[in-house]
Amino acid sequence: MSEPAASPTSPPESTRTGPGRLLVAVYALFALSASARAGVQIATKFSHAPVAYVLSAFAGLVYIIATVTLANGSRTARRIAVVSCSVELVGVLAVGTWSIVDRATFPDATVWSGYGSGYGFVPLVLPVFGLLWLYRWSKRARTRKAAAVTSAGDAGDTADGGDPAVHAVTSREHGQAG
Amino acid sequence: MSSVNGVVPTTIIVAGLALAAYALLMTALNRRMGIVLLAALGVLEILLLVLVGLIVAKLASGERPPGGLATLIGYLIAMPLVPLVAGFWGLLERSRWGPAVVAVAGLVAAVLMVRLHEIWAVIRV
Repeated sequence: MSEPAASPTSPPESTRTGPGRLLVAVYALFALSASARAGVQIATKFSHAPVAYVLSAFAGLVYIIATVTLANGSRTARRIAVVSCSVELVGVLAVGTWSIVDRATFPDATVWSGYGSGYGFVPLVLPVFGLLWLYRWSKRARTRKAAAVTSAGDAGDTADGGDPAVHAVTSREHGQAG
Repeated sequence: MSSVNGVVPTTIIVAGLALAAYALLMTALNRRMGIVLLAALGVLEILLLVLVGLIVAKLASGERPPGGLATLIGYLIAMPLVPLVAGFWGLLERSRWGPAVVAVAGLVAAVLMVRLHEIWAVIRV
């Protein structure tokens, strides 16, 4: 009656595999809910709480960018993901504080008001996990690059101007992006 | 928040939470996606489709939700997608993180059910 055992743990191959699978799923969930919520609010009652609704739409956009870049996982995508996770963390802290200090501006809640209290504080912890995951990945990428350089040096492959290590890393990056 | 009434919404919440608990257990035990989790997702999917059917029937009879029609329709589209997308995304992952995705889907189904009930507490069957 139980599920099959997982194969021996091999390191995740991309930012979207392993724990990243869960991260991308939760990001996609928030991308959808934040932008759908903002869309409905802006379309039906924009004048009621314009600041809150515009912030909801901005949050939705940030979540969409984070979802796409984390799912893609190429080097450029990871850089954009770091920026969007950082913007998200600053956003949830700033809007969270703002919504508590100045309640009049937020007659309707956004994803980020009250530090995401309406969403079980997931908006607060999500960027932290996102950044930790991306940090682990950047470390892994550096380790791989160093290993590639070392092995190339061992092989005595220093004949021409081309750097085989860089080529190896680059082709691997392209493989992940596909 | 009004309490949730009706057999179908209650069953969806219980099923979602039970699915989440089982999937989390599978994650903790380092299992990957298997037939039991897929079957459980299928049951949740059927329950959600029954719910959508009941609400569409209410809409067809001319009743309208006080919480806004646009939001309600958004929920009617989003809710049945949750188990489908989670099953697809979880199956792609051949590790413990597949069931973790399913656990999120179970929780989301339960939360969406409670929120839907806040928009329109119409289902009493």
